[in-house]
Amino acid sequence: MARESLALEFCSTMIALILAGKVGSNISSEIGSMRITEQIDAMEMMGINSASYLILPKIAASTLFNPLLMVMSFILGLLGGAIIVMITGIVTLSQYSEGLHYAFRSYYIFYSMVKMSAFSFVITSVSSFYGYYASGGSLGVGSSSTKAIVVSSVSILLVNLIITQLMLN
Amino acid sequence: MIRVVKLNKFFGEKQVLKDISINYQPGECSLIIGASGSGKTVLLKSLVGLFEPDSGEVWYENVLFNKLDFKEKKNIRKEIGMLFQGSALFDFATVEENIRFPMDFFTDWSNAEKLERVNFCLKRVNLQNVNKLFPNELSGGMQKRVGIARAIALNPKYLFCDEPNSGLDPHTSILIDQLISEITKEYNMTTVINTHDMNSVMEIGDSVGFIYNGELVWEGDKNNILTSSHKELNEFVFASNMAKRIKEMTR
Repeated sequence: MARESLALEFCSTMIALILAGKVGSNISSEIGSMRITEQIDAMEMMGINSASYLILPKIAASTLFNPLLMVMSFILGLLGGAIIVMITGIVTLSQYSEGLHYAFRSYYIFYSMVKMSAFSFVITSVSSFYGYYASGGSLGVGSSSTKAIVVSSVSILLVNLIITQLMLN
Repeated sequence: MIRVVKLNKFFGEKQVLKDISINYQPGECSLIIGASGSGKTVLLKSLVGLFEPDSGEVWYENVLFNKLDFKEKKNIRKEIGMLFQGSALFDFATVEENIRFPMDFFTDWSNAEKLERVNFCLKRVNLQNVNKLFPNELSGGMQKRVGIARAIALNPKYLFCDEPNSGLDPHTSILIDQLISEITKEYNMTTVINTHDMNSVMEIGDSVGFIYNGELVWEGDKNNILTSSHKELNEFVFASNMAKRIKEMTR
């Protein structure tokens, strides 16, 4: 039960929602600040494709490496379960371990990694978009950051539904 | 030389630039002056392609710049240096990395050559031992100097400065003005400066264009700006009580 809930939802969707708040606002405000302080204009002036230079590496990095973060959170989640089992004594550690191995489907981990990859793409692209088109000084940066978090979070839930329909039905 | 022909720019219904036609010569500091909101920055950004004019032409020598696509503009932009109002130094990079930035993209110089050029540019703007500092560790005047150093890193033919001395004390302002003027003469650059600082006008204004409500209404230089009878220009130039008193005394 703990294994399935971690693999199917907690380690991908919940982590992605947390990342949308933490990383999304970070990306949006960083790029937004660059926009209002004319740093992006300075890049454009040098003939550099600023969107490509600033956004592409973020999307590539998060899409490739956040699935590993998901795997790490899965392992830590299972270890946390083991600690609770040891402290409370609900079941023995060997029973817990046996339960983890019982009818294990590695496809769920793959499914979760694919979801995490898609969520990461959504978080970075949506946040970068709102940051890149920020206007109206520091208030505008704050507002773009808020919009980025809200839109990313809603998009994550929608993408979750779509991927689940595609991969688990 | 930069030639501007009948440039118009609208933001929605509002016309911000009205039929601006002007020439900028090499080896001169050409100033665009005017009140806040008169269209100076829009004109400057239209000249460098950060804003797309609705009609009109911007010529760099014999190239019609505003009709080029992004890739073609890149070739001209290699020859343009720009100093932004707030310096626009990259927060994520040190002073050295900021100045190296255009070199990394447009040259195949070795690291040693790039470092040599960075140090030369820093020396040229009278800054030393700041290579490893970040922009937030510098004063406003130092940031402007680093901005100038970055602008001249590729030895540009054209230099654009958007209010280079805004937020600076009078002494530092004059130093920055003199530096821009010296560099312009030294490298025979075509320099266009956007300002509303009359000290700058009197210090370095080889040619001056006055913009009023988006229209270029007066052209001249620092020698005849004080004696002009143009009403709006006089209201701009002699806006302060001190300037009015000086005008009375010189009559």
